[in-house]
Amino acid sequence: MKQIEESTMSSGSVNVLLISGRTLGQGRAMEKGKLTSDYEKAVAICELDTTAMEALGIDDGETVVVQTEYGRTIVRAKHDKQLTPGIAFIPCGPYFNLLLDAYTQHTGMPGFKSLSASITAAPGASITSVEELSKILKEGAK
Amino acid sequence: MTEYLVLKNGTVFDPMNGIDGEVMDICISDGKIVEKGPSNAKVIDLKGSAVMPGGVDPHSHIIGSKLNVGRLTSPESNRHYPYPATNKTRSGVAGIIPSSFATGYLYNAMGYTTVIEPALPSVKALGAWEEIEDIPGLDIGLLPMFSNSMISFKYIQDDDLSGLAAYIAWTLKSVGGLGVKVVNPGGTYAWAYGKNVCGLEDAIPEWDITPRMIMTSISNAVAELGLPHQMHFHPTNLGKPGNIETTMQQLDALKVTKAKGKKKQTVHLTHMGFDCLSVVDGGMANWKDVASGGLRFAEYYNKNEHFSTDLGQITFGPSMTMTGDGPFQHSLYQMSGGKAKWSNLPVDVELPGGAGIVPFTFEPKSPANAVQWTGPLEFALSIKDLWRLFLSTDHPNGGPFLKYPLLISWLMSKKQRETWLEMVHKYAIERSTLSEIEREYTLNEIAITTRAAPAKILGMEKTKGHLGIGADADIAVYDFNPEKTDLAKNPDLILKYFTQTKFTFKGGQQVSKKGVVAKHLSSRVHSIHPELNEDLSQRIDRELEEMMGKWFSHSFSNYPVPMRYREHLEMPKIIDSTSVQA
Amino acid sequence: MTEDITIHKDVPCTFCGCLCDDIVVEVDGNHIIKNTNGCAISKERFLGHTENRCQQPTVDGKTTTLEKSIERAVKIIASSKRLLIYGLSSTENDAQREAYRLAELARAVVDNTTSVCHGPTILGAQESGEPTAGLAEVRNRSDLVIYWGANPAAAHPRHIPHYIRQPGEYIHDPKQDRKIWLVDIRATTTSRMADRFFRIEPGTDLDVLQTLRALIRGHKLDVEEVGGVNIVELEEIATAMKSAKYGVLFFGLGLTQSRGRHRNIDAAIRLIQDLNAYTKWNMLPMRGHYNVSGANKTSTWVTGYPYAVDFARGYPRYQPGEYTAVDMLARGEADALLNIAADPVAHFPRASVAHIKKIPVINIDPKINMTSTAAEVNIPAAIAGIECDGAATRMDGLPLYLRKVIEPPKGVIPDRDILRMIINSLKKEMKK
Repeated sequence: MKQIEESTMSSGSVNVLLISGRTLGQGRAMEKGKLTSDYEKAVAICELDTTAMEALGIDDGETVVVQTEYGRTIVRAKHDKQLTPGIAFIPCGPYFNLLLDAYTQHTGMPGFKSLSASITAAPGASITSVEELSKILKEGAK
Repeated sequence: MTEYLVLKNGTVFDPMNGIDGEVMDICISDGKIVEKGPSNAKVIDLKGSAVMPGGVDPHSHIIGSKLNVGRLTSPESNRHYPYPATNKTRSGVAGIIPSSFATGYLYNAMGYTTVIEPALPSVKALGAWEEIEDIPGLDIGLLPMFSNSMISFKYIQDDDLSGLAAYIAWTLKSVGGLGVKVVNPGGTYAWAYGKNVCGLEDAIPEWDITPRMIMTSISNAVAELGLPHQMHFHPTNLGKPGNIETTMQQLDALKVTKAKGKKKQTVHLTHMGFDCLSVVDGGMANWKDVASGGLRFAEYYNKNEHFSTDLGQITFGPSMTMTGDGPFQHSLYQMSGGKAKWSNLPVDVELPGGAGIVPFTFEPKSPANAVQWTGPLEFALSIKDLWRLFLSTDHPNGGPFLKYPLLISWLMSKKQRETWLEMVHKYAIERSTLSEIEREYTLNEIAITTRAAPAKILGMEKTKGHLGIGADADIAVYDFNPEKTDLAKNPDLILKYFTQTKFTFKGGQQVSKKGVVAKHLSSRVHSIHPELNEDLSQRIDRELEEMMGKWFSHSFSNYPVPMRYREHLEMPKIIDSTSVQA
Repeated sequence: MTEDITIHKDVPCTFCGCLCDDIVVEVDGNHIIKNTNGCAISKERFLGHTENRCQQPTVDGKTTTLEKSIERAVKIIASSKRLLIYGLSSTENDAQREAYRLAELARAVVDNTTSVCHGPTILGAQESGEPTAGLAEVRNRSDLVIYWGANPAAAHPRHIPHYIRQPGEYIHDPKQDRKIWLVDIRATTTSRMADRFFRIEPGTDLDVLQTLRALIRGHKLDVEEVGGVNIVELEEIATAMKSAKYGVLFFGLGLTQSRGRHRNIDAAIRLIQDLNAYTKWNMLPMRGHYNVSGANKTSTWVTGYPYAVDFARGYPRYQPGEYTAVDMLARGEADALLNIAADPVAHFPRASVAHIKKIPVINIDPKINMTSTAAEVNIPAAIAGIECDGAATRMDGLPLYLRKVIEPPKGVIPDRDILRMIINSLKKEMKK
């Protein structure tokens, strides 16, 4: 709690433990098709708890920047009243994976549940579409 | 395409046809043994080679989820045994639980051509058929389990022999089974309650039946149906010192079943080495006091002809125990002080398996293991009628099938036994009569107990286990001359020659030469389809649909194995069970 | 229009590891018009099966014939030194077996989605074994069900309503006589369906599991809380577990993906094994994809190992961390990728994805997905369980036959046939 207040004071951002996983919406949209707007709407989101929303001063659906040691992504905030303070959730998919490192501790499994991230309000920012993301990733690789 | 082949001048051991080391020709046409070959037949000269029918192994765990769990949880058991691909054969691993392709090839290389999977949870049969596609070169059979299924219990509780028989028939047809397996009747079911059963009259949780009722009802139903293979029986109290008493009690209880056909045997007691442990005079039922029950059980066997048996020999070294005896497997885990890797597979109606898997190493210096080792050997060397016995290690429980030649060497060579008696803990000498036994199995007797007898026990003796006219041309040719080789005095040669045949033929086709498998043959599955009369057939469909709908968590219509997985592999034998009352 | 309607009953659904096989599918001519009994995701899968399909094979983004796409695929495979074959969990068993055959021929690595899902569960089982449960047995007997690190409401929607909160032979009132508890780091829809929810601090699963083990063994612990849970509550949990008649632990990616990975699973396994000294307990991983269990099974019987298998030496070798897809790609080790029925570009960390973008990719999938945009060759496949038959394995090991209820789009064939074509072509190519 204290940590969040401090960060609010200093930079208008919130530090969280960022985790990923499935949602019903993500599952349905995935079955529909990965390049659909349904899918983008389902996975380009970050579930935040009430204190985080207040600290960032944003409403449900507003864009935020999520930053980790490894990458940065812009998604829409989704207010989850039940969510525990200090935890944020982005459904599994390309927006989360932009932030994730590939170190698996030699188990094959990356750290989907143990990423430190900071969230900053970014009103009016645009969300890269899944299709554009693919292109960017392709270019970035060259 | 007819393939004519004449194998000339081999020294043949074909006990079913009374041939004991005769030099003779074998003529093959179209995968069968025929009287005479045409003049354009290919000829192979087997002068100076011993020839036997292809080996028949009625009890070896080569298929199924508990096998897969064993492989999956213990990759270390296979890592050091790569089995490379060739341009004709697939790759795999060949440790104590070989992968599917390797299993078929290794058995072929050893001269075996028929192997039966002795414990199938029938609802998982679809998976078994898929695996069989990837096990080459064998004739295979499946034995579904019935002794811990709530459906069996219902019929037994209602004293409804017809219902029970019909359930068995329905299952054999639906999944392509060959016979009936009974494992720790009621005990594996009690494991769903964390319990077990010991005695014949023990209560089974929630049901008004006893182990006695379960085993006798099922053996009666098997006889009533006229199944060619008698009830395959893994008794209660497996692996407990002193269990020779309860095993004999259970066999006595099973005398109530009247044999219907020509065969006198109505039950097959499997892996007697795990079932017939005795204790020293005045001793307690624990491993400290364990003694060999081999001689005592041989006496019982000589006097009581209603059963057949197999050895379940332990061969020392790492093995993987896997049985449908859930409570036994848990007890092994507890014996290890909770250190062993214990896996459990569910038991209930739907997946009536109740298996447990625990890696285990049998140590020569362990007093308990040394005594257990002597039991089946003492037994096999003391009995009179070898036609009711086959050799086994309950692969992979007592040891991998790759160690069959070692077992053969212990039976054929007193010298080999002496060498091993010196290596193992002295209790082997003190707690059994093995060191005093002079008898050595002859090649004929090995041929009986690894070919002829198992074929008869399975009810497959028309085409398997012999080299007479009409038999399948499954033939093992060994690279030694029986007249010039003293195997008993040179037991290392037994290991050498029985591990890899000179040639193995399956259905007249040469699959291996000197251990190199150069042909990948599709396997076949032998099954029994008992035809019930119309009324009983309709009744059982109705009743099973109701019970399965109530107790299972998947649809009744998804139970039977679809023909698309069977038709190209299955060789069903239809038997007339219409006399079973509706 | 109504004359042509066929009703298919007892159709297994091919989305998640529940493999519900009570779906009723109505087909009108060549349209699926209704899915009864399926969850929301299942309905989308069946009713939307024609949406966003890869219609035609493409090479370098241009439409081409199946033969030409196979030709290019074979060229890529034949000239690769370290091919990675990945995916497989969302296709049926026959296709998986063809993949192993291809891997052996091409001396490739073959890995399936287990490595990013329940791979750690397998690693844990390789340490300690696995006392597993069966769904029917749970329904018939269980009086205490604990979900740990799982959110079935999101990933296995019918798990609770269809299998767990249902009466069984010995539990007649699943509300009264069966307790469903959840242990997780955050409240979810599942926690609202459960009878009790215990929130633990992230990364403390191992501590909490070991604490429960100690409590169950009768040790007294000199702490006030572990993992943010009060010791009194932990004692309550331990007592409840010990006095249950038939307990089941369903566990998910909260355990496998958190700090500790397979050690979390190892601890859970040991906990369940310990409990068996007092009463009856089993556990079951919540397998995500409908046939990831099948992929482990087929891989194990064919190669001896469940995933992360390398055929470089002409025989199977196994090593998570070395032959697992995320690692191989992040290290830049694979020089070609054959992806079947998965979407690594969507689901892998960016370093692995960056490498995928550098190497030639062959993508076999029914739908256009993110990996399609990275692939040099895209070959459309029929959807198993809807447009072609096959077999799959439920999370508790039950094999089920998948149905074909409708024809695939014109020219689209099952994965297994595509792989067979590739293998035959590759064999000819290798003889040259």
